[in-house]
Amino acid sequence: MNTLLNSLLIELRRGTLTLAVLSQLQIPRYGYSLVQLLEQSGVMIDQSTLYPLLRRLEKQGLVTSSWDNSDSRPRKYYVLSEEGKTIYELLKKEWLDNSKKLMNVLNEEEHHEPN
Amino acid sequence: MNLIEVYIQEVTRRLPEKNREDIALELKSTIEDMLPEGYTDKNVETVLEKMGSPAALAEGYRDRSRYLIGPRYFDAYISLLKMILPIAATISLIVLAAEHIIGYDRDTSVLNMIILLIAEGIWGMIVVGMQVFFWLTVVFAIMERVYKSDDSHPLTPHLTEWTVEDLKHTPLIPKQKAIPKYEVFGGLIWTAIWATVYFYADHLLGFYRNGPEGLEFIAPAMDEAVLVQYWPIILVIIGLEISLSIYKLIERQWTKAMAWFNALLQIIVTVAFIIIIKNPNLFNSTFMDELSGVFEVSVSKLELWMIGGSIFGFLIAAVINIFDGFRKARK
Repeated sequence: MNTLLNSLLIELRRGTLTLAVLSQLQIPRYGYSLVQLLEQSGVMIDQSTLYPLLRRLEKQGLVTSSWDNSDSRPRKYYVLSEEGKTIYELLKKEWLDNSKKLMNVLNEEEHHEPN
Repeated sequence: MNLIEVYIQEVTRRLPEKNREDIALELKSTIEDMLPEGYTDKNVETVLEKMGSPAALAEGYRDRSRYLIGPRYFDAYISLLKMILPIAATISLIVLAAEHIIGYDRDTSVLNMIILLIAEGIWGMIVVGMQVFFWLTVVFAIMERVYKSDDSHPLTPHLTEWTVEDLKHTPLIPKQKAIPKYEVFGGLIWTAIWATVYFYADHLLGFYRNGPEGLEFIAPAMDEAVLVQYWPIILVIIGLEISLSIYKLIERQWTKAMAWFNALLQIIVTVAFIIIIKNPNLFNSTFMDELSGVFEVSVSKLELWMIGGSIFGFLIAAVINIFDGFRKARK
């Protein structure tokens, strides 16, 4: 039962992670700062998922990266590309629309319950 | 021992050469970000614990697929496998039977030959099955990698996207008309069996008697020289039977044309049977003497019964078969 619930939860979260990461990359950020930011907002993210995800987004052209060597520790910064910004806006709109529809469906179900 | 270096090595050694350096640098800076100022070995362990298994992390970085044949090609792969395996197995059986007919050795005993045929038949089917399975899998695994696509919609066996048009080319097969697969392959195997028996008749069919060493072959029923002289018509019948089986395999249901084909074949087989069995030299005289002794009738009477009875039986069977074909085609 728990494994089933887990796999369903993972399925639910799968798409949202990309959206959450894209939302934080309006300004350049490096890997760990992104983890902290997301965790502060309550979005738990597996580190072994995040770093590969960033690279994949870069390969797909949604983000660009640059190494900053000015600090004592070199850091790789990621930021949305022009295409990434467009895609992010579209995804965000889609997500909001969908949540609204889903809310309606879920509320409807609540109204039926008394019968 | 520097656990961080080991961890990074464990991740990068699983990755393609060209990405290693960049990923190693990024991981190193990330791990150091996570550590507090003036960290201890204990801190390092906690952080690495949080990063999780290096294999899992490497898996995330890799974008090559971890399966041989993905959802897009799986359906086509399975249906092709189901289609090709029985055909290949049957062809291997027919080839085997043909080899025995052509290159037969008169000195092999009946029992030995049967055992040899069965053993070689089973072995041949296993080998052919493995070959088909292997090559088809290799072809699909290559296709999966060459024509990589994020689309996971299954393709049809013709390797195209499904459209409503596909339905128009798929016949709706009523149960009464349908030809089950086992009928087709049973038919092919039957052809292989009777053809083998026909050309080995002087070794297989005959008069046996219980002797001190088990069954003893006393006399062949038929003269092989007489049987062999009819080889052209037998080859034509074998060819027609195989064609009918393949026709059934393709159509998957009885049609009018198929019923006519079947009728024609039945007529040819019956005529050939009558011509061969009426050949006065067909039955071996020793065999007839032995058999007439058993039934206590004269040889001439026995011959009349055997020929008359088998022609009658054959005719009945042929007529039923022909009508059955037309009946199924009409439904």
